[in-house]
Amino acid sequence: MTDDEKAALIEQAASAHRGVATDGSIRWAPAWWDLDEDGRVAAAALAKELRKLEAAMDPDGLSTTARLVLSRIRGG
Amino acid sequence: MIDLDTLLPDIATGDADAFGRFVAGAESRLRDSLGSFAAVIDVEAVVQECLLRVWQVAPRVVPDGRANALLRFTIRVARNLAVSETRRRRIDPETTIRLERATLDDACEPEQPDPLLREVIARCREKLPDKPAQALTARLDGPWRADVEIAETLGMRTNTFLQNFTRARRLLAECLGKYGIDLAKELA
Repeated sequence: MTDDEKAALIEQAASAHRGVATDGSIRWAPAWWDLDEDGRVAAAALAKELRKLEAAMDPDGLSTTARLVLSRIRGG
Repeated sequence: MIDLDTLLPDIATGDADAFGRFVAGAESRLRDSLGSFAAVIDVEAVVQECLLRVWQVAPRVVPDGRANALLRFTIRVARNLAVSETRRRRIDPETTIRLERATLDDACEPEQPDPLLREVIARCREKLPDKPAQALTARLDGPWRADVEIAETLGMRTNTFLQNFTRARRLLAECLGKYGIDLAKELA
C-alpha cells in the first residue's frame, strides 16, 4: 500500500458515515478493515479532531456523529 | 461543572433534542474513553452503537447522587461494547484486559461549548478555496452518505474528493494556528 492509499483510507475511516446491518447494528467502515494498526489509531485520532471541528461549526454543537445518531433515533 | 443529568427527565420522556444536547456534551469524553482500543476496534462505529443503546435504556438510568451519572453509564456501556468486540474478533484476552485497564474511568467532565473557537473556525472557513470548501461542506451536510456518493454529487472522483477534504482540513488547522489556536492542544 502506498502512503497516498493509506492516507485516503485513514480519511475515509475517520468519516462518521457507517452503514447499518440488517439487524440494526452499526457496520464498521470498510476502509478501517484495510488499515494496519497504526492506520487505525491515526483514523481514530483524526476522527476525534474532525468531530471537534464539526461540533464547533454546528449551531447546536453537534458533530456529524451526533447528527447521524439523532437521525437514526428519529427513524432516518 | 456542567451536569448532563439535568437532561435525564426529558430524555426519559423520549425527547430526542434533549438527547442531542447530552450527546453534544458527552461525545468527546466518550470517544476519549475508547482511545486505548483504537488499534483493534472501529471507535467511530462503537461510539454510534453505544449512543443508540444508551438512548434505549436511558429512561431506566437512576442518578446516583454524583454529577453526570448518565455520562458515566455511557462510558461503561462503551467499554463493555469494546470488550465484547475484541472477544468477538478473538483478540488475545491479555491484550483486552490491558486495553480495558487503560480506559479513562474518571473522564466524566462534559465538553463545554467554545464560542471563540466557533467564531474563528467560521472566519477560517470563509477563506478556503472553492474545491476544498465544497468537499468540507458536503461532508458536513451529508454524513449519512458514503464518500463515494458525496464525490459523485460533486462531480469528483473519490480520491479527488478525499484530497480536497484533506486540504480543507489542513488549511483550517493552519488558519486556526494563525489565530493562536493549536488544534492538537484543544483536543488534549
